[in-house]
Amino acid sequence: MSSGTNQSHSSQPSPLVLESVAKHFGGITAVADVSLEVTTGEVVGVIGPNGSGKSTLFSLAAGGQKPDNGKVWLNGKDVTGLATWKIARAGISRTFQIPSLFDNMSVRENLLAAAVEGDWKGAPQRASDIMEMLEISHVVDNLASELSGGQQKLLEFGRVCMRDPKVILLDEVTAGVHPNIRRIILDAIRRLRDTGITFLIIEHDMEMVREICDRLIVMDQGRVVAEGSFEDIANDVEVQRAYLGRRK
Amino acid sequence: MAFESGQIRTLVTRLAAIVGGLVLLSLLPGFVDAYTLRIATGALMWAGLACAWNIVGGYAGYISFGHSAFFGIGAYTTAILMQSGIGAPFFVTLIPAIAVAVVVAVIIGGPTMRLRGAYFAIATWAFAEMLMQLVTVVDFTGGTAGLSLPAYLNEFFFYYTMLAATAASFLGVWYLIEHTRFGFRLKALRDHEPAAEAMGIRTNLVKVQSFALSAAITALFGSVYAYWTTFIDPHSVMGPEITDQMVVMALLGGLGTIWGPALGGVLLWVVNRYIWATFGDTVIYLPILGLIIALVVLFLPNGLISLLKGGSERGHELISRIIRKL
Amino acid sequence: MDLFLQTIINGVLIGGILICLTIGFQLTFGVLHVIDFAVGGWAMLGGYTAYWLVTLAGMDPFISIFPVFMLFALIGRGLGPLIYHVRTSRYARPDLMALAFTFGLFLLMRGGALWLWSYNTRSVESVFSGEFLSIGAVTIPLLRLSAFIMAALISLGLFILLYRSRFGMAVRALAQNREHAGLMGVDVKRVSSWVYGIYTGITASAGVLIATIYSVNPSVGVRYTLFAFFVAVLAGLGSVGGVLVAGLALGLLEAFVSTYIGARYSLLIVFGVLFLTLLVAPKGVLGRGI
Repeated sequence: MSSGTNQSHSSQPSPLVLESVAKHFGGITAVADVSLEVTTGEVVGVIGPNGSGKSTLFSLAAGGQKPDNGKVWLNGKDVTGLATWKIARAGISRTFQIPSLFDNMSVRENLLAAAVEGDWKGAPQRASDIMEMLEISHVVDNLASELSGGQQKLLEFGRVCMRDPKVILLDEVTAGVHPNIRRIILDAIRRLRDTGITFLIIEHDMEMVREICDRLIVMDQGRVVAEGSFEDIANDVEVQRAYLGRRK
Repeated sequence: MAFESGQIRTLVTRLAAIVGGLVLLSLLPGFVDAYTLRIATGALMWAGLACAWNIVGGYAGYISFGHSAFFGIGAYTTAILMQSGIGAPFFVTLIPAIAVAVVVAVIIGGPTMRLRGAYFAIATWAFAEMLMQLVTVVDFTGGTAGLSLPAYLNEFFFYYTMLAATAASFLGVWYLIEHTRFGFRLKALRDHEPAAEAMGIRTNLVKVQSFALSAAITALFGSVYAYWTTFIDPHSVMGPEITDQMVVMALLGGLGTIWGPALGGVLLWVVNRYIWATFGDTVIYLPILGLIIALVVLFLPNGLISLLKGGSERGHELISRIIRKL
Repeated sequence: MDLFLQTIINGVLIGGILICLTIGFQLTFGVLHVIDFAVGGWAMLGGYTAYWLVTLAGMDPFISIFPVFMLFALIGRGLGPLIYHVRTSRYARPDLMALAFTFGLFLLMRGGALWLWSYNTRSVESVFSGEFLSIGAVTIPLLRLSAFIMAALISLGLFILLYRSRFGMAVRALAQNREHAGLMGVDVKRVSSWVYGIYTGITASAGVLIATIYSVNPSVGVRYTLFAFFVAVLAGLGSVGGVLVAGLALGLLEAFVSTYIGARYSLLIVFGVLFLTLLVAPKGVLGRGI
């Protein structure tokens, strides 16, 4: 069940289009044949059991891995197989499952570092705004390695916002965080979405998914097995099979 | 860049310390004899060399065992251009010396820095030894016999030249790393390379840039050294002892800190001169260097600076505790 | 044609010794994941020890290999835990710290040898020195032949240990997967330390053999380290089997360069080829490296 692969016909190209992307690691197929297309300002949830290829899909979209097959378009530009930094500069940002902060830099420096290839002049102001939005202004000069787990997730999220991207990929950004922090992130996503930024989020937290996502994509064993609204998915047989296993 | 009041205060204090230090160093020649002055000149040079090595080793995170190649390139370029056939004035030779080093660094830096850390170390080591062998067998470098430079026996001149070179290196590195985009890129690369790439940073380019900068500074000191000692041969300016010392000094002082290498450089050079003065030769210096590296890796991997930082924190705590009691 | 044949024979004979020099190094890399910069230093010290045994005790160097092996195996076994500790601790870059550590060891050895025994080159005489075997137009120095045979025996001994003993199996398991080997009851730290000891013992023994042919002085360590790196990289770091081919290759390269181009170019060319190999094929010619 994959969506159509047409390029958007409106004057604005779709922020992100994946066409039949696949990725194999040795004998293992991480992503088999996935196509998807998002519209500006959408919040798309990507869910599925562990090992279904969600993180790999993100890597294929953001440039950490090159697809073995298929194509990737970012804002109408073909970025398939380009170097990671080129794809990043084309307008996409992602968080990593394992925090990837710059440990020896302070919170402020981490944020500034994120803007180093973009708007440098306005970076300090933006950093202040983002710290305020994420309520981490009080730890501005702490080293990233000194932060609590929740603060680290917030900083990771903040870094992604600094770059002013068109597409943001969030990989389990609220995993294991305090509900307060979850609220902050959800509010931030809404605020950014309203300015036209598109989100793809990998999540296991179904409450969050129901609250924020416009639609869902369900993956299993490297393929998309279902797509639609939360209600559609909740009742879908394929999805149940994916999570609960097949009846023998 | 916007500053906040706390930052301005730190900046002003730091600048004051630096200016004060420079003033003191400038006045030094008036107070010491020629022998001590020579030691000071050497100390300045090694501090600068350790600083240069630290750019690649401590900041970019690539342990290079081949920096002697750049020192030698600087030394030989200056020496060759100052030979009686060409007779270029000293300061003019600095430009080609640095240029050649940068070109070589860019050419070999690109491919070599794609290698993982240990392979990079071996590759740079092999490159430096290869270059030294090349210089030994080729004619225009004087081969094993070496080259002599026009003698200019003015200790003041060399002291101030070395001081200028070292000050320029440290201040340049300090400014670049702490206050420019390049510094942010470099530190990001060091802390988490994939994340840096995900932020649009061209990590390979940054690596090569840092390598070229490091090579340029090293070559500068090579040039000054050649003129200072008036005689060079392959082993004295391209030999492994040069790299050995740079590595130990940076490691001892503190990898990836601005002033650590200065500390390590001055300290070890003073040790070297002390040994020379006491024993008449410096043979025992080499095993001592080896022992120091081994001990630093085992017990003090963040270098002496980490002791000082920890020390100053403890000092502040002690003082505030005392003040609170008053 | 005769010269050509002679060069090949020279190359093969030296190649055998180079294999022995590098085989332990590869094992150390495979098990401890450490590139021991001091490999040439161990060989040099082995050579010096043989010299003193020959001079003071009148032992033939080929006999001295036994005490040399045992002495250095013990020393290595003692150092093993330190190396293991550095390599597995929580630094920012433990692999580079381990490299720096062995680099420091190498400095200590080079400088120590220079300080204790000064620049003089010492030759190590054996009962085989100066004897020749003539087969047709080629002359085979008996010394080199004996050294080759000894090197082959030592290497064979290592293979037997690795593939026919319980200890060897533990070592191979460690080299494959440290975590799993540990989970299966292999005492990782102890086995690693013994591996380091075996490595230093073998390398020192190879140093004895080289010393009988080329004599020894404090600066030969750099040469031997270069040779070990060359063979290891060409074979693919960590690949013990590949050393057989790469060792012979280096021996032949050295022999041909010395005979046809000139001995003073040999280091230049060997360093140059090593550098290029790292750029072009860092995982070895057959891509087996780690």
